[in-house]
Amino acid sequence: MIIVGDNMDIKFKIDEFEGPLDLLLHLIKESKMDIFDIQIEEITKQYLAYIESQEKLNLEIASEYLVMASELLEIKSKMLLPRNEEELEIEEEDPREQLVSRLLEYEAYKEITKTLKAKEDDRRDIYTKMPENVNDYIENRNYLESGLNIEDLTNAFLKFLQRKEAAKPLKTKVTVKEISVSSRRRDIKKILKKEKKVSFFKLFPVVTKEYIVATFLAILEMAKNNELLIKQKDTFEDIVCEVPNGK
Amino acid sequence: MENKIAVLEGLLFVVGEDGLSLEQIMGILEINEEEAKELVKLLKKNYEDDSRGIRIDFLGNRFKLTTKKEHKEYYQKLLERSDSNVLSQAALETLAIIAYNEPVTRMQVDTLRGVASSQMIRKLVAKGFIKEAGRSDLLGRPILYETTNDFLDYFGLSTIDDLPDMRDFLEKEEEENEDTDLYRSKYIEEEA
Repeated sequence: MIIVGDNMDIKFKIDEFEGPLDLLLHLIKESKMDIFDIQIEEITKQYLAYIESQEKLNLEIASEYLVMASELLEIKSKMLLPRNEEELEIEEEDPREQLVSRLLEYEAYKEITKTLKAKEDDRRDIYTKMPENVNDYIENRNYLESGLNIEDLTNAFLKFLQRKEAAKPLKTKVTVKEISVSSRRRDIKKILKKEKKVSFFKLFPVVTKEYIVATFLAILEMAKNNELLIKQKDTFEDIVCEVPNGK
Repeated sequence: MENKIAVLEGLLFVVGEDGLSLEQIMGILEINEEEAKELVKLLKKNYEDDSRGIRIDFLGNRFKLTTKKEHKEYYQKLLERSDSNVLSQAALETLAIIAYNEPVTRMQVDTLRGVASSQMIRKLVAKGFIKEAGRSDLLGRPILYETTNDFLDYFGLSTIDDLPDMRDFLEKEEEENEDTDLYRSKYIEEEA
């Protein structure tokens, strides 16, 4: 449960702080605490109250602030834990120690930015100028081997043009020859009329996928329609297609 | 020698804000380090005369010609100075942290600031105040950042050693504090 301190004066909005460390330092200074002896319970209360007040103002609270809130609560709970005698003998680290060193270091950087700011301001009182454009003074470097002249360059360019011409793809026409089952049927019929009997394999003179499929379908269709008989004497013997009897 | 002074003056004029390093002066004028230093000193002295409008400054590890501070009001009349064009508190904070810890990873900056800094770091890289400086051996080999000569110049610093001593800014506990090594506090290593 978070209790909002009624007496707390909210003077600063959250976006005026650079982060949770900045806010925490501000709260510590405001309540005139010794940074080396932070009253965690009090400062946690203030911190949470501040965050809540900002949420009430519908200001977005960056997740870093919430992480710090949970860290404060963790330290607070550690400090509340009763310690037995054994633990007291071992000199234990103050749960606040890490937070204190972080705050001190952050504070130091914050102080340094004031010095930097002053230096930035000072530096703005003096002016320098853009570097001169010295391109005009750079001597033309001759990268060509001696003995070369404009004609060589022209020839080289012409040769390049020729090569480019040669590299062009030749004009070709790509056509797809369509093979239909019915055309293959007609072909096979013709062959059978002439030969009466033909080896199955001889019906596939062209080995392309389309040709084989169309021919095979034609043979099956003709066999079904009784226009052709498929015979094989024995396993692995030649398959023979022939005109059925009486046709 | 006079002749070389004139050349040095011309060189400094040509390079403008880019400035010249001592090594460059030595190389171009074909003189040794001592002579180069002496030459710069002589020219510097020349400029000290009240009748001269420029001076030599050592900014960001380079010698540069700059105007004199005491004439600033005239320049400000000439150039409309926009005071809004200064770095934000967040930018200053991030720069300070990088300058005192360089080379550092973004994670280390985040930890010290207590807020995410990736956008700010990107901005500072774009402004040329910091640059990548290889990668850390930490897990994931994160990019390391360090400040540039432009950073030094912007704050009127000659070298990185001109930064004020960090220890002067650390609040000390009343009684003798044994843990004087707060400057490099251990959580950096633990959390990075």
